[in-house]
Amino acid sequence: MTVEVAGNVIHLRGACAAEDAETLLSRLQTAPESEIDVTACRHLHGAIVQVLLAFRPNVRGMTEDIFLRDWVIPNLAAHR
Amino acid sequence: MDELLEQFLIEGPEQVQQAGEALLALEGRPDDAALIDQAFRAIHTLKGSVGLFDLPAMGRVLHVAEDLLGAWRDGRQALSRGAMDALIAATGQTERWLGALAATGGGLPADADAVAADLVGRLSRALDSDAPPSAAVQATHIDTAWIEALFRDRGLDPARYPTVTALRYVPDAGCYFRGEDPIAFARAVPDLLALRITRRDAAAPAAAGAYDAYACDLVVELLSAAAPETVKGPFRFVPDQIQLLSWSPPPPPSAPVPPPALAEGPRSLRVEAGRIDALAQLVDELVVAKNALSDLAGQMADGLAPQAAVQILGDRQATLDRLVGRLHRTVMGIRLVPILPLLRRFSRVVRETATALGKEVDLAVDGQDVQVDKAIVEGLFEPLTHLLRNAVDHGIEPAAERAAAGKPTRALIRLVARREGDHVVIDVADDGRGMDPARIRRVAAARGLLPDRMLDALADDQVLDLVFRPGFSTAEAVTDLSGRGVGMDAVRAAVGRLGGSVGISSASGQGTTVRLVLPLNLVLTKVMVVAVAGERYGIPMDGIVETARVDPDRVRPIRAGRAFVLRDTAVPLLSLAALLGLPEEARVDGGPCRAVVARAGGDLVAVEVGAFVGRRDVVLRPLTGLLSAMPGLLGTTLLGDGHVLMVLDVPGLIAAATGDTAPMGQGAL
Repeated sequence: MTVEVAGNVIHLRGACAAEDAETLLSRLQTAPESEIDVTACRHLHGAIVQVLLAFRPNVRGMTEDIFLRDWVIPNLAAHR
Repeated sequence: MDELLEQFLIEGPEQVQQAGEALLALEGRPDDAALIDQAFRAIHTLKGSVGLFDLPAMGRVLHVAEDLLGAWRDGRQALSRGAMDALIAATGQTERWLGALAATGGGLPADADAVAADLVGRLSRALDSDAPPSAAVQATHIDTAWIEALFRDRGLDPARYPTVTALRYVPDAGCYFRGEDPIAFARAVPDLLALRITRRDAAAPAAAGAYDAYACDLVVELLSAAAPETVKGPFRFVPDQIQLLSWSPPPPPSAPVPPPALAEGPRSLRVEAGRIDALAQLVDELVVAKNALSDLAGQMADGLAPQAAVQILGDRQATLDRLVGRLHRTVMGIRLVPILPLLRRFSRVVRETATALGKEVDLAVDGQDVQVDKAIVEGLFEPLTHLLRNAVDHGIEPAAERAAAGKPTRALIRLVARREGDHVVIDVADDGRGMDPARIRRVAAARGLLPDRMLDALADDQVLDLVFRPGFSTAEAVTDLSGRGVGMDAVRAAVGRLGGSVGISSASGQGTTVRLVLPLNLVLTKVMVVAVAGERYGIPMDGIVETARVDPDRVRPIRAGRAFVLRDTAVPLLSLAALLGLPEEARVDGGPCRAVVARAGGDLVAVEVGAFVGRRDVVLRPLTGLLSAMPGLLGTTLLGDGHVLMVLDVPGLIAAATGDTAPMGQGAL
């Protein structure tokens, strides 16, 4: 379980693979105001990243993964 | 070796084989979409697996091969002979590389890069020459605005980074289905200076209802302080989807990797889970049987009557016997593998050889449902390769000669395996010119293989057998393909090591058939244990015709040797002690002379032994290292009392002892 919904927050945990994009997409479609929490995230697959780019939900949390923190997450927040 | 690589080395060869089979079948049915698909899928999966390891040369070849197959599959290109040759060469090379990987534990040979470059060139030419000129194959227009934008975004000072590598990656929409993850590629780039991930069409908002998360629409742009070759690394399988720019002078090419030392790779076996369960169950039962023995030991200590103890012990021993028997059969069953995949691999060998010699040869393979021990399958590749190359090279006539003889110009070689009792029989039959006994006699005489009068005494079919003798080669010109210093003698030796035998028959003008007879499983060998000069030795039972007790008076000295008459046939009598170089033991006066009568070549030979000890089913271990070159020794086995028993190859022993002057084949027992 790498996509976990808790109220208004969608937690992405561990290494999020392509399969998780479907779950994330359907959640964002039903609840577009959801926030994404990436604190426990280790990797985001391209399919996840493109869903986040397409729907631009609010992304919060500081992941320990340096690559995600320094390079990927800023892209998700940049154009809000 | 790491686990992933081990798994890859099991699956890789299977995929290469699938691809190879499909390609060969495509030659006959170029429009079969299912075959193109099979080849494409196999190559694609291989490419994906190769990406897990640091094998750039292999990856490049497979990538172009996949492109070429993809072009066929999508109908963008028609099948051409050149393309097919290139693809088959690519699968062949991949198979060789896999072999090298297994042998070295993860390294390709030093020439891999050069070989790969050549193959990639051939494949690309095939791809380009047949394809309709596509509009934008070469992107000559280089747009550098995005690089400047990246510098701005990250607040980088261009003056501080005079040499950066810029890469723009636009993955195609289907990339997720090939298991590619653009984010993972970017993660693998070293010394990242900037990374921008955007959607291809960033302005268009996602239509809430119809967004497809699996149609990749990402654009990845990045800057790195590392050299372009390094930055490109993670993207090596998608070279057509990246744009790579370097503002640094090209780095010197890396030094070639020294060839890694070859070592014997681990062997592995795929086993049905059900068979393992059955084994586990048997082991459980064995534990119960063992406990019953401890129980009995306890009862005996408590004063159980010996008579009753014997009875119970007998029962328990019978149970153990039954369990061990079942365990053995189950393990043997695990070692049995179908032979057909091995035979199918030779289609390519035949094709390559035939192409190189400018001949047209088809290989028909049959061996449905034949299963043999895995060790035999592994040991057969070399000898069969040699036999097939020989058949194509020497057996099959050039097309013109075939036409003149009224034969179809396309030659046919049949490679057929079938089961006969406890043995598997493999025939390699060609429809070529056949063998000429007169010519073999001449060559044998010229090479001094046999004295003339012995040659004259041989029947024609026995003369054919001479090709298996060391030092015999009928080819007047040693060709690159089959004349590699391995003759038919090597085939006989290899088959002999597997416990099998080789025979040859031929009809002039109609073809030659080489027949291999092999045991179904290697592991249990029936041996007769004999004693000589106080030592015990094993002799394989299947080579023994009978045992004889001969009255010393009936043994007649003939010149330097001895012989006796056995049912109207004179049989030479040799002493095993003398053959082994042991001191002769004096026979108790009046006692009969004990001899094992064996067949060596076509003749009966009796070997005198000190005593018959008994028969045993033994697990024969082949000799390794220095001992493996020792003539006359088949292997060793461990006896119940912990002694090592040497198992003798009687014909080999005789051939070695008599200076190889008698017409008998090594390993024929």
